[in-house]
Amino acid sequence: MSTISLRIEFGGGLELLFSNKRQHTLTLSSAVPFDNNTKIAPDMLSGVETKPADVEYLLFYLRDILLQERPELFMEDKTVRPGILVLINNTDWELEGEGEYVLQNNDEIVFISTLHGG
Amino acid sequence: MVSESCSNPSVETEAIMSRRPKYDKSKFCIKCKVNTGAIVVRHAVYCKECFPTLLSSKVKRILEPRVNSKPELSRRKSLKASGNLLIGFSGGLGSTVLLDLISKLFISNRIEIKEDGVTKPRGGKDHPRNEPVWKRVSVCYVEIAAGFLGATQIDKIQRLVQEKYEGVEFVAVKLENAFDPSWWDELGGKAALNAKADLADDDLLVSTIFNRPDSDPVQRLRLYISALPTHTAIESAIRTLIRILLLYTARLTRSSHLLLGTSLTSLSINLISSIAQGGGFSVREEAQEEWRSDSKEAIRLIRPLQEITIKECAMWAWWNELPVVGRQRYPGVKQGIGALTKDFIVGLERDYPSTVSTIARTCAKLAPKVEAAGLCILCERPLQPDVQEWKARISIRATIGTSLLTPPSNTLDSSSLLKSLTPHLCYSCHTTLVSRNSKGVSGNPANTWLPLPVWASAHIQNPSPDADDISMQLDANEAGDEIWLTHKVGPDETMAVIKEFLLE
Repeated sequence: MSTISLRIEFGGGLELLFSNKRQHTLTLSSAVPFDNNTKIAPDMLSGVETKPADVEYLLFYLRDILLQERPELFMEDKTVRPGILVLINNTDWELEGEGEYVLQNNDEIVFISTLHGG
Repeated sequence: MVSESCSNPSVETEAIMSRRPKYDKSKFCIKCKVNTGAIVVRHAVYCKECFPTLLSSKVKRILEPRVNSKPELSRRKSLKASGNLLIGFSGGLGSTVLLDLISKLFISNRIEIKEDGVTKPRGGKDHPRNEPVWKRVSVCYVEIAAGFLGATQIDKIQRLVQEKYEGVEFVAVKLENAFDPSWWDELGGKAALNAKADLADDDLLVSTIFNRPDSDPVQRLRLYISALPTHTAIESAIRTLIRILLLYTARLTRSSHLLLGTSLTSLSINLISSIAQGGGFSVREEAQEEWRSDSKEAIRLIRPLQEITIKECAMWAWWNELPVVGRQRYPGVKQGIGALTKDFIVGLERDYPSTVSTIARTCAKLAPKVEAAGLCILCERPLQPDVQEWKARISIRATIGTSLLTPPSNTLDSSSLLKSLTPHLCYSCHTTLVSRNSKGVSGNPANTWLPLPVWASAHIQNPSPDADDISMQLDANEAGDEIWLTHKVGPDETMAVIKEFLLE
C-alpha cells in the first residue's frame, strides 16, 4: 500500500479551527474510498470501491480528522466554504481541477480564508 | 434527435451537465501568453509575473485621475496633490493590501542608484520624477475596542505598520473620540454643547444639554451603542462613525486624499447592504466622495481597490507574505443585514464571479433624480429632500398620544429646548435610529436617549448660512426674545380650534 506525504498550510484565520497551527504534515494512502468515507482504515479497503486520493477526499479528511471545531466554517456540501481560497503548489486550484486534482507526493496545499474583509 | 422527456440525472448519469471550466481558453497567462497561469480572475488566467501589473494598473486607473486638484487631460502632467495623504487601516485584508500597493507605487517607487556607496535618487533629488505625489503620508487606525469592552491593539498595529513601511506616520484614533469635546477642540471644530436625541419618538427630539454625570467619551460611546435598536443599526452606526473620524483626521493631518481599502467584493456588499437600509440616495458616495464639511477645502475619499476582488487581495497578501491582523470584531456583527449580504455576495462570487463586478458597475451608473437638500447631520452625506413626507405616505406610523410640551413661554430656558433631529437626517440614518426589530438588541431597554457625536452637536449649535453645509435653523433667538415651540396637535385640540367652522 503506497502513501502520499502532503504539506498543508492554513492562513487568514483558518488556523484557529485547526489547533491554532498554521502548518501540518500528513500522510494519506494513495487509494481512498470513492465515497470519501474517512472512517475506513487504509488497510481495510478490499471490497470497497476506491479512487486515487484527490483534493476532495483531503477536504473530508481535514474536516473529520484534523478540524477541532465548527466544521461549517470550513466545508459546505462537498467543497470548501465560499470565501476560502485553495492553492495547490502555489497555484489557484481552479486551474488544477479543484476537488478532482489527484494528489502527488510532497504536494503543498494551502487554504486561505478571505473572510476578514477590508 | 429530440428527447422525448427530460432526463433524470439520478438515473441517467449522462444527463448530468458537465462542469463548466472556471477559466476561458487555456491555462496560459492571458497577458504574456508564455507562462503557465497561477490565478484565475473572473475567468481570465494570469501568471505570477503578470499579476502585479494587473493590480497596479487597476489601482492607478482609479487613483491617478483624482490626485491633482484639477483633472488633467494630458498623461504627461506629473501627479501632484494639493495636500497630504491619509490611508485608513483597519487591519483587514483590503487595507493591508492597499497600504502595501500604495507604498510600492507612490512612496518608495523612486528609482535609486548607488554612487560611491551612497544611495541617491536617479537624476538627483530635484529631478521631477523624484518629486513625491504627497509630501506627508499617514496611516490611521480607528480602534473600536472601548465600545465593546475589548482589548486594545493599537500598539500591535503601530509596530506592524512602522516596521514594514518607511516614510509613513502612524495616527491612532479611538471610536470614543466621536464623543470627546477635547478631540473636537483640537480639530478646531466649532463650539459644541453635548446634545442627545430621544429614540422613543420618530421625531428624535433633541435636548442640547447633557447632564448625566457619566459623561466621559467612553461612557457616551457605550450609551450610543446600547441605545441603537438593532444589530444592523449598530453595524451601520459604527461604520459611519469610523468614516467621519477618518475624514476629520484627514483634515487634522492636512490631507487632500483619504484612501480606504474597500475591495470590489466589499464594495458590492456595502452597496447592496446600504441600499437595503435606505441609502440609495448616496449610492455614489459608497464608491468615492468629496467631503467639505464647514466649507473647508475638499478632501477626496477614494477606494483604489474597488476593481480588485477579495480573492486577488488574498493572493497578493500571500505571495508578498503580508501579515494580516484581521479586522476588529464585536458582538452581534454576524446578525445584521451586512453579514447576511456578505454571505450572499461571497457565495455569488465563487459561482458567478462576474456578477459581483456587475453590481458595482451598475451602481456606478446610478444618480439621484433630485438635488440634495444639504448634508445629513450624522453621516455628512447628501440629504434627500422631503424624506419624512414620503415616509408618512408609505407607512403606517402609530402615534402615542399628543406631545406633552408646554406652550411657549418667555421665560423658557433655551437649554431645555426640544428640536426634532429628523428633518436633518438622511433616510438611511433615520432608519438606523428608529428601526424596530421584534427581537431587539439585548441591553438596557429603558435607555432611549442617544448621545450625539460631537460633529452633530456642533452642527446643531452652529448652523452655517452656506447652503452646502449642514444647517439646522434654530427657532429660538437669544434669551429675552420670543421663543417658539411647535408640537403635534391631538384630535381634541384640533376639534377645539375648528369646531366653530363645522357645519354640524
